[in-house]
Amino acid sequence: MILPLSYNWRNLFVRKLSTGLTFIVVAVIVLVLAVLLSFAAGIRASLVATGSPLNLIVLKPGATAESTSILQPEEIARVVQTPGVARQADGALMISSEVAVQSAIPRLGQRDRPANVAIRGVDVLAYAVHDNVRLVEGRWPDAGKMEVAVGRAAQKRFAGLRLNESIALGRLGNRDYTVVGVFEADGGALESEVWGPRPQIQDSFERDVVSSVVVRLGGPADVEPAVAYIRSAAVQLDAKPETEYYRELTAKTTEIVMLTSVLIGIMAVGAAFAVANTMYAAVDGRRREIAMLRTIGFSRGAVVLSFVIESVLICTLACVFGLTASVGFNGMRQDFLSDTTWTVLAYELRLTPGIVAWAFALSVVVGVAGAAAPALRAARLRVIDALRKA
Amino acid sequence: MSGADIELKDVRKAYYKDRLEIPVLDGLDLAIRSGEFVVLMGPSGSGKSTLLHLVGGLDSPTGGSVRVGEARLENMNERELTAWRSRHVGFIFQMYHLVPVLTAAQNVELPLLLYRMSSGERRQRVTTALDVVGLSDRMHHRPNQLSGGQEQRVAIARAIVTDPDVILADEPTGDLDARTSEEILNLMNLLNSEFKKTILMVTHDPKAAQHGERIVHLDKGVLHREELTAARAGARA
Repeated sequence: MILPLSYNWRNLFVRKLSTGLTFIVVAVIVLVLAVLLSFAAGIRASLVATGSPLNLIVLKPGATAESTSILQPEEIARVVQTPGVARQADGALMISSEVAVQSAIPRLGQRDRPANVAIRGVDVLAYAVHDNVRLVEGRWPDAGKMEVAVGRAAQKRFAGLRLNESIALGRLGNRDYTVVGVFEADGGALESEVWGPRPQIQDSFERDVVSSVVVRLGGPADVEPAVAYIRSAAVQLDAKPETEYYRELTAKTTEIVMLTSVLIGIMAVGAAFAVANTMYAAVDGRRREIAMLRTIGFSRGAVVLSFVIESVLICTLACVFGLTASVGFNGMRQDFLSDTTWTVLAYELRLTPGIVAWAFALSVVVGVAGAAAPALRAARLRVIDALRKA
Repeated sequence: MSGADIELKDVRKAYYKDRLEIPVLDGLDLAIRSGEFVVLMGPSGSGKSTLLHLVGGLDSPTGGSVRVGEARLENMNERELTAWRSRHVGFIFQMYHLVPVLTAAQNVELPLLLYRMSSGERRQRVTTALDVVGLSDRMHHRPNQLSGGQEQRVAIARAIVTDPDVILADEPTGDLDARTSEEILNLMNLLNSEFKKTILMVTHDPKAAQHGERIVHLDKGVLHREELTAARAGARA
């Protein structure tokens, strides 16, 4: 039989200082964990939501991203022969040549901290090839004009990207483009970009070659033969589904999360020691009580369980507090500089049910680990000695 | 439940310190009738508390046998002794040992948590026990809101709430003034006479000892002498 929870609950307030400090330590760890995982979840959600499995992105072999890929016109000509390419109603092949460059644009409210924003030069065909990109305000840029459409996430994160505002782009930052449209892309990475007509973008950035070609395929069965063809001696380029390409860009995030997780693990060990310290004090201060409980018939197991419950109670309450504090970060807009594309990805921190579950699991583990040794000491207490010393 | 008889035969108990044997009880024989109120007296180190712990199943003898009612305690392991204590023995300590964060009623309820019973039945038994000790109007008070005498009354209610066969009291009035001590001892007499509990009480106070029926004097771990108290002797005469 276990002791009543009211016994554990009220004992939490007997040693207010040590209980309070332990509470704060665990709450801070939970807060850091929740924010870190929200950051990772936000970035993953943006990148995983990007692209279509029917779109192949074609790059120069060895290039890890569009920004490091250069495709010559004759190479693009060879891609046209790819089997399974979808066609538009007018019979045109759905192959979009695109140029990917970067430009420094100030963050909203932080004009002195510009970010490297991805600028994509596209032809009209791109709006059909990227089928998850939808215009939500204004219109697409007219071919031949110095106009751009901006992604919703980029517009919310960076300055000067509202409709009809003017933005300076180009290698020397001296070409003014007018924002004429806003697009969404299911929250994916493309929403962090600025799109303009390819010839104007190429001219402004002094690029006479394209970065990538996006090939729209007719169906899932066409993916494998198309990839094999593009990688073959006939074309000698690299191709992969867009979804895979963007998933690979999350690798850096995974690294960051793993490194920080190690730090959180070390902090959790420290927290377990803080909990242990508090529980040792509780055991020492309650030797008489423990002896009395054992005398009237409570087993060693009941005593152990009681101290573990008390410790877990502190930690889970701290977890609730830490998670509540982390809600303040939920939905916060941030940007993340990819070391692959050297452009920023705008994203929102996302507190998911999975993160809440992880936070509770961590706090329970810290509570149990911290209580284990003091609870065993309580259970091993010699009843007669404790009664006498009382 | 009425009291149980107690029988100790050739009981020996020794502690070891630095491999040195320190005998505390040295072949003690003692028989206590069911429903008897026996007082243990003797100088410090004579083995009174050790004897109380052996009868209460808190410790095991080095040799000899301890029987309480049907139970042969020397044959029981720790788990069995723990379960047995919860059913058959009520303990009263000098320092009360109440849980400071619980109310009087919750303190009294603690031993009942080891029983399978409804919360309503538990509440009923707690109220009855606090009625017996005259503290039903203090059931929601915490120990720090009670006087020493009231705390000891709560401890007595906790000891009797499971209706045990035997009540073991270790200097129950050692921390109380004379008037309160008298009240507590009268309460113990009530438990003995009205509820027929077998009581074994350790005390240094000769006046308190007179509340029992028989006084057993221990010295150096053996039974030194026995005497009937004045009240008992008077009753016989």
